[in-house]
Amino acid sequence: MTLNINRIDRRKFLRGTGIALALPMFGSLSLTGRASPATNPKRLGCFYFADGVPMPLPNDPAYQDWAWFPHGSGKSFQLTKCMETLEPLRDELTILSGFSHVASRNVHGHNNADQFLTAAYTGQGDELYANTISLDQVYAKHVGDHTRFASLVMSTDGGTGTARGAHTMSFDENGRPIPSEHRPKQIFDMLFLKSDQQSARRLALSRSALDDMLTDARSLKQILSNDDRKNLDEYMESVRLAEVKVAKAKKWLDAPLPTVEGAPLNLELTTDEPREYLQTMFEMIYLAFKTDSTRVATYQLGRENGIGRSEHLARAVGFNLSHQLSHETKNPDGWKNFGTFCRFINEEFGRFVDKLQTTPEPAGTGSMLDNTLLLYGSASSAFHLSRNYPLILAGGKNMGFVHGQYINHAGDKFQGGAWMGDREPWQDKATMEDKPLSNLFVTMLQRLGVETNQFADSTGIVEGI
Amino acid sequence: MAPNVRLQSWLQLFALTMWSVSTTCGQLYAQDDASSPNTKTESKLEQPKVYSARELDELKESGWKRSKYYGSTEQATLNQPALAAMPLPKLDEFRESISPILQSACIECHGESEQEGNVRIDTLDPNLHTGKDVDWWTEVYAVVSKGEMPPADSGELSEPDRKKIVEWLSTELQTASIVRRQSASHSTFRRMTRYETNYALQDLLGLPWNFANDLPPDAHSDESFQNSSELLHMSVSQFETYHRLARNAISRAIVKGDRPNTLHWGITMKDASRLEWPKQEQQIAKAKKRLESEPEKLKEELARLEESFSKEYSRSYYRDLSSGKTALATWEYDGAKYAMAPSTDPVAVPDSLDHVVILPAGQSINIELGNQVPDEGTLRVRVRASKTKSIQERSPSLQLYFGWQASNEGRALIRVSQTDTPVTAEPGSCEFYQWDVPLGEIHPRNSVRTTSPMGALPSPSEYIRLVNSSASPDEVLIDYVQVQSPVYDSWPPPAHERIFHHSSDSQSESQVAREIIARFMAKAWRRPISEEQCEQKLKLFERLRPECESFEEAIVEVLATVVASPNFLYIVQESAPVQPEVSNTSPAPSRARLTSYELATRLSMFLWCSIPDDELLELASADRLRDVEVLNGQVKRMLADPRSKRFAEQFVQQWLNMELLEFINFREQVPGFDPLLKEAMQREPIALFEELKKENESVLNFVHADYAMVNERLAKHYGMAGVHGNHFRRVPLDGNFKRGGLLTQAGLLAMNSDYPDSHPIKRGKWLLVNLLNDPPPPPPPAVPQIDLANPEIAKMTLKERIEDHRNHAACMACHVKIDPWGIAFENFDAIGRWRDEVKGKPIDASSDLFNKQTLDGMGGLKHFLLENRQDQFVAALVSKVTSYALGRPLKFADRADLESITARVRSQGDGLATLLTAVATSELFQSK
Repeated sequence: MTLNINRIDRRKFLRGTGIALALPMFGSLSLTGRASPATNPKRLGCFYFADGVPMPLPNDPAYQDWAWFPHGSGKSFQLTKCMETLEPLRDELTILSGFSHVASRNVHGHNNADQFLTAAYTGQGDELYANTISLDQVYAKHVGDHTRFASLVMSTDGGTGTARGAHTMSFDENGRPIPSEHRPKQIFDMLFLKSDQQSARRLALSRSALDDMLTDARSLKQILSNDDRKNLDEYMESVRLAEVKVAKAKKWLDAPLPTVEGAPLNLELTTDEPREYLQTMFEMIYLAFKTDSTRVATYQLGRENGIGRSEHLARAVGFNLSHQLSHETKNPDGWKNFGTFCRFINEEFGRFVDKLQTTPEPAGTGSMLDNTLLLYGSASSAFHLSRNYPLILAGGKNMGFVHGQYINHAGDKFQGGAWMGDREPWQDKATMEDKPLSNLFVTMLQRLGVETNQFADSTGIVEGI
Repeated sequence: MAPNVRLQSWLQLFALTMWSVSTTCGQLYAQDDASSPNTKTESKLEQPKVYSARELDELKESGWKRSKYYGSTEQATLNQPALAAMPLPKLDEFRESISPILQSACIECHGESEQEGNVRIDTLDPNLHTGKDVDWWTEVYAVVSKGEMPPADSGELSEPDRKKIVEWLSTELQTASIVRRQSASHSTFRRMTRYETNYALQDLLGLPWNFANDLPPDAHSDESFQNSSELLHMSVSQFETYHRLARNAISRAIVKGDRPNTLHWGITMKDASRLEWPKQEQQIAKAKKRLESEPEKLKEELARLEESFSKEYSRSYYRDLSSGKTALATWEYDGAKYAMAPSTDPVAVPDSLDHVVILPAGQSINIELGNQVPDEGTLRVRVRASKTKSIQERSPSLQLYFGWQASNEGRALIRVSQTDTPVTAEPGSCEFYQWDVPLGEIHPRNSVRTTSPMGALPSPSEYIRLVNSSASPDEVLIDYVQVQSPVYDSWPPPAHERIFHHSSDSQSESQVAREIIARFMAKAWRRPISEEQCEQKLKLFERLRPECESFEEAIVEVLATVVASPNFLYIVQESAPVQPEVSNTSPAPSRARLTSYELATRLSMFLWCSIPDDELLELASADRLRDVEVLNGQVKRMLADPRSKRFAEQFVQQWLNMELLEFINFREQVPGFDPLLKEAMQREPIALFEELKKENESVLNFVHADYAMVNERLAKHYGMAGVHGNHFRRVPLDGNFKRGGLLTQAGLLAMNSDYPDSHPIKRGKWLLVNLLNDPPPPPPPAVPQIDLANPEIAKMTLKERIEDHRNHAACMACHVKIDPWGIAFENFDAIGRWRDEVKGKPIDASSDLFNKQTLDGMGGLKHFLLENRQDQFVAALVSKVTSYALGRPLKFADRADLESITARVRSQGDGLATLLTAVATSELFQSK
């Protein structure tokens, strides 16, 4: 099997993709006439890792090396061994502590991947389940028309997962999970190979139907009184806007697919080769961004509470199962082992950030990273505790983000410590009040150009980033 | 009275008012714990007068004698206000006799030098017919006729003078309202609400499913209804949602291919308990091994175990009837060990069985069905069950849930039974109880059921759960559970036939399509379809057909455009022919009437929240609906039809603003509150409404009734004994005012509280806005905060704080109007229970209304309303119902019509069915 992404196995690659890719880059399709080379795109990528992070207490010998959160605050902070792979990117990112979603703070952490980007109360146990729209989809609604795909939704485990056991970070406006894709080949084919017959047919049907409904409305208008006509105008305007959307979608279908060049990929990878798998998945997002196939991507790197493919990720660093590492921190080297796994995830995320940073913006200014806002985090910190989310914000300098800092809101009041087999941190009384993470989401949306002052339960914005 | 312009401007400020209620006044309650005993209040406190139910009933009679409609014959009031000639405003009368009275009684505070409450009346235009100040006059009429103005301590107005003003204004307002009809512009062209869309699709397709969940919730304002034309907008994403849900709904109604094979589960409790008995064997084996060398101890241990194997549990347990042994019923998701395999052949039902499961009250059992439960079709669950004890008039009840657990966190449990099923079978003679569950309605299903194998993690298995939902400690015994799925009683199912049935034996697709489309369109658009309209849809069919894989698919696409068309989504009225110019001398022209088809839709939207049925459409087609007798008959039929339950639910919830109750969600344990109670609270006002409607009882029963509509859980909350079972029924009250009517209902009190405290201001405001249609004015811009840092204020009792707050000049004007109403509710705590004292201090629920009238607690409040405010209450309800029925806000021009409806209702005994009929047959309702 191919073990290193940098060593090309040409045969495998060809088997994987079916074609060779060595054509020029394909830029954004100009639909509205507004996209000029000088206009930088604004992209958003969101990443989730499961099962929290090492949170040894300051009196623990492992605290210095293996705590996930850095030591210090502001510009002056030291990354631990758990995070040191991100050191070269220090000026490209901001680490945050003391943020969480308000509604689910008292819920067991393993329930909460579902709400990481939505801030909804998604509950626990047998409670009725409901969710709301996720951050990425709010942005996709804003920017989705400019690209072939409104958003790219990926995970390691695929599909939607189950309620409270999501395999996707993305939820539509009705709060329904958007199925994620976990197979690199399917993603690649969708982005660069497949022409979508089904969609084309669907669009043709929609167009005829919309025409017809507009005709209905026009003839209805004849018999209405003046007062009533104003009300009908809203309907007609809606149909016209729907027609515009169909026309746009049609243009994308007719436009030639972008092509990619560069290092060929092994697209048949699975989590049996965890490191290479993560690298390939990140590469998919990189390519999708670079070809401007989409400006919104989410990738859920792992599933809460083990089970399934993402359990295998820890094999990259010599452990059998990922989730278990978070439980066994009281054992000798427990923090180190858990920290080593997190270090690996951080390292791969860093590789992706680095790649964006070293790639000039294809049709704009600065690096791709400068025009790409990345959110990376988890919905729990200490053992099953749904507070003080570990969070990294990276990129987006062209949108006004200032990096190289650690917004240490939690300070030394954080909850942590190894699980001794009895009461768990999430069951304890909170030692401090977190800030609403939705406030960060509002700030992100604003910098991405969405005119809004609100996301879910937000109470303001986050200053100084 | 109908909301007028000024009220509407208040309405806009209502959010602000609520803000002030919760922030400034809310602090009244924040430090209740800290308040020290206040001897002043206690010493002057007297026991409030207690009114017996009989006294309150007598009051209804004596209050009626005070009504302005008392003694008017039905004939007189039935006359619709019609004017022979355009009347002229009575300006001379105003100058001669009204203006001087106003000068002496009002101008001091509402004139040039002072404008108390920003009201100035010396400059108001006395021409109500065409002048600009008619809304102000409406206000003047309201406060003078109710005796609110002038205030008792300033200004004087003799009774004859008051009468003069009231009579002049009442006549002028009435004629002005008719005169203004001509120029009144309003639009009742509106789209259906979310719930109407859902019901309309249900009735169109003949399927009781949820079709409109994806639509955004409709706007809601405190004074108008969700169906109000000015609130119902359309956006592109909403339109796209309509189109998509139309396609989905129609696709769900039709089937493809052959009838799918039905899977059968026949589950005996012996099968269900198969994993439990070996546990006992293991316990015995373990004991034997452990005490091998101590035979005496072993004997004792075995005897102890043996005894424990036949004990009764407080949780669900199995019983082997032949041996008497019992075992706790357990379930865990891991490994799908409890799953029962289905058979492809029908399973014979065994006659008698020796294993049963006992469900104590509140307990449940999971029957795991594995991963083969289909996506669509009916899941039929039949449970053979009985009571375990024969107690007169007491039956436990069952609920059915559908659930799954894939992993520790990934799970769902959804109640799929609509109502509780009482288990009435006597012990020893089990009977079958059946549920038909549409599988397509269950969300979310276990998403790994097709990808993960049985036994693996995540588990793909799904289960049903039977819950004993009794509020009494009554057990349910179950000996057999039969599950079949998918069940289709006929194939293709009726909903499919309803769409595709055709008489044409033509081989031509377009011939068949024409018949299908024309029939569907006429029903969906609820009026005759022109040849052109039909031709247009047929052309669309021809255009889509080559793009579609089948005839059926093309039909679905076309029918979806019929549903997403404005002809379905909107309540359409053809514009009336242009009226000739109106002059002052010409007779008042009659209003444009609805066509029969339009009337059919207005009726069905009003009473069924949906589209008309075939009978209404047939009558419309014969143009017979406008015949008074026919119309009366139809209203009667519609009110008796089960679909009118939708109206009761929607109207009551919106009328009483019960959204507030929806939001009450105590995450923490609140003693005395549970989901069963919340459900009962939500049901109670609707149950009372339905009872009054069914029996055509007086709407004054909303103020006070000598019975309550309760179920067991609610009765327990109210301390009423002898009510068993989860269904609502009429229970006579034993002669006091503590319960009966709407004012004392726990849910309505709870939603106007601020747990753990009651909230007199919210309650007072709710009463004024929702029941009396008399919203208080908005708060002034600078409302002073209640200063809890001030030790004097912190020491005060709640009532004193309210009074103190009220004494601020800025607060006075509003609160004097709100507070006394709310304080009268003080004997009810934050979840609506009666209380005589709070924190050891007796409740003081008495306070003075304007003009020093004392409202003494709930008894006093009911007394006052029944004695003095019958007309106001009935007129308010007429107003609310009419606004809902028309789907638009009411205007000044509607005043005369409302007056006439109210008169008719009052003179015919105030029955609720009378009221609904009066609205539905009124000239206003039948006019464009």
